[in-house]
Amino acid sequence: MLLLLDILTTAAILFVVAVGLLAIFGVLKIINFAHGAWLTIGAYSAVVATKLGLNPWASLPIAFIAGALLGGVAELLIIRPLYRRPLDAILATWGLGIVIGQLITLAFGRDVQLIPSLMSGTIRVLGADYSVYRLFMLLAALAIGAVFALVVEGTRLGLSARAVIMNETLARSLGIDTERVRLWTFMIGAGLAALAGVLLTPLTSVDPNMGVAWLIGAFMLVMVADASYLALAVACLVFGGAQVLVSTFISPVLGGISVAVLAALVLRISPRGFSRA
Amino acid sequence: MKASLLTTAAASLLLATAAHGADSGPILIGVPVGLSGANSVVAPSVVQEAQLAVDEINAAGGVLGRQLKLEVADDASGAAGAQKAFDALIYQKKVDALISMETSAARNAGLPAVSKGRTPFIYTSFYEGHSCNKYLYVDAWVPEQQVPPIVDHFAKEKGAKTYFLIGSDYAFGRGMLGFTRSYVEKTGGKVVGEEYLPMDGADWTPILSKLKDAKPDAIITSTAGGAPNVTLTKQMRAAGIDLPYANLAVDEGTAKSMGADATGVYLSASYVTGIDSPENKKFLEAAKKKFGDDLKTPNDLSVPEYEAVYLYKAAVEKAGSTDPAKVIAALPTVSFTGPRGTITMNKQHHAPLTMYLGQVQSNGSVKVAGTFKDVDPGDQCPNLK
Repeated sequence: MLLLLDILTTAAILFVVAVGLLAIFGVLKIINFAHGAWLTIGAYSAVVATKLGLNPWASLPIAFIAGALLGGVAELLIIRPLYRRPLDAILATWGLGIVIGQLITLAFGRDVQLIPSLMSGTIRVLGADYSVYRLFMLLAALAIGAVFALVVEGTRLGLSARAVIMNETLARSLGIDTERVRLWTFMIGAGLAALAGVLLTPLTSVDPNMGVAWLIGAFMLVMVADASYLALAVACLVFGGAQVLVSTFISPVLGGISVAVLAALVLRISPRGFSRA
Repeated sequence: MKASLLTTAAASLLLATAAHGADSGPILIGVPVGLSGANSVVAPSVVQEAQLAVDEINAAGGVLGRQLKLEVADDASGAAGAQKAFDALIYQKKVDALISMETSAARNAGLPAVSKGRTPFIYTSFYEGHSCNKYLYVDAWVPEQQVPPIVDHFAKEKGAKTYFLIGSDYAFGRGMLGFTRSYVEKTGGKVVGEEYLPMDGADWTPILSKLKDAKPDAIITSTAGGAPNVTLTKQMRAAGIDLPYANLAVDEGTAKSMGADATGVYLSASYVTGIDSPENKKFLEAAKKKFGDDLKTPNDLSVPEYEAVYLYKAAVEKAGSTDPAKVIAALPTVSFTGPRGTITMNKQHHAPLTMYLGQVQSNGSVKVAGTFKDVDPGDQCPNLK
């Protein structure tokens, strides 16, 4: 059924966009309001890669690395000094997002940029033509989720990160270098955001403000998922599904607010959201 | 002795500043435009055209011996930003006139300030029609001029009987598609779907799924200019939809930035760069010479801006001053022959225009498929004499 595919692919896109924000929220306990700007950085890395004549697929690793490096710089210069003032750190990321947006505008102009699509066309699925790229996004979300799970469950960094998520002071007293964990997590979160930005380019207009629309949705999803990536996947399915169903059967205008309304309802009923940790 | 010298100096300074903007000094033209937000993609070309007109007029001696000066303000393509921009231009900068292209949301939000500040306002954007204000004049098209060529062409050449309409949820989107629906039904067609998304919405998936279910013969869309056009067209092509598709809100510049996705899209405009007239050739050469590689493609949202500056100049010269009452009395009586032909805003503050039906080619250019001379705007403001 087309509707089922719409729900699954919408959930996949939401997951890809929000997973970077989740990582940063879990470990650093702050919402990176520059997340939208990092989506934009990723998309514009693809613009630069295109201008340099590279294969469009090369822009995926390039965007991740660019996002991660810039994330590292941001963490060292802006987040770390504000470690004891998390609310100010959140405000700082909001400002950072604005600054990045303006820098991109100064460098590239306000125009919509043209990037060759990673893949195009439709494929016959369950008796109907469906967009190949949306199906690819489903695979991409599963792949990113799997790699993320691998890092969290199977690496030393993941172990340290989970310790920091549970109790940072205790983790530090056990000898874990929490500053390094925070830096690496921010870099990975920023890199994932940039990667999501590139993956979004065939679906959206590439301009300096493209990330802003995704920020609020991602923020709601992360609030509901708390620090658990499994909870994030569930939230994306439930909220993405609700968005598609409301848009299809009631109206797209109401569908746009369904994520926000549902997030508020879920948090009212269960303050820790979908996570059970 | 010193005190009286000081008083004389102060008095003459006061007189000088009072005189400024009244009979000497530059004539200030305010340009509130969407430098950020949905219109940020098209705003730069609007500002360029205004600058081109102002520079040409100043080089030829200005208006009534005074130079023209532009004051550009960002209205963020929306109502909140427009209130700030209009207030700043009308009350702080004290502009003599406003000449600009903006979203309908921004225009509607700014009109109260225009009335209160008694500032002539030439609106240079195509829009949904029926916006009436003593100080407002429009030199761009309304649905009565833009829609019939498209629907007639689809019905006659493509045999289209059922239509699916998609738009952005604001005055322009709803107004255009409302008129389209009534024209389609009046000419014997049927509308099988009409869907809207908020202006900043980027996910058209559910609407496109509904479109596929409805199986229309043709699609007509009316989104906000710029980013929404691009996202809708990209997603439509990604979903494999290639029905006859007319876009009521796209211009050549945006079509170029959509690349291959825009091929085959129909548009109906009062300006295309391919207009074969001496005025258009002269205009394009002057624009290329002034801006070189930075030139943003002149389009249906920016060329009316260029002509509006000249129309204001003609009105001020006819009125003999920048006094708002005299200028708005003169505006419907003056004409300017520019890239779009001869424009006179004499039909209830709107102007008859020659419309071109075009189709986007694979290289981004627009091929003219039909020309409709001096299409009447209809009854836009029957209460404004």
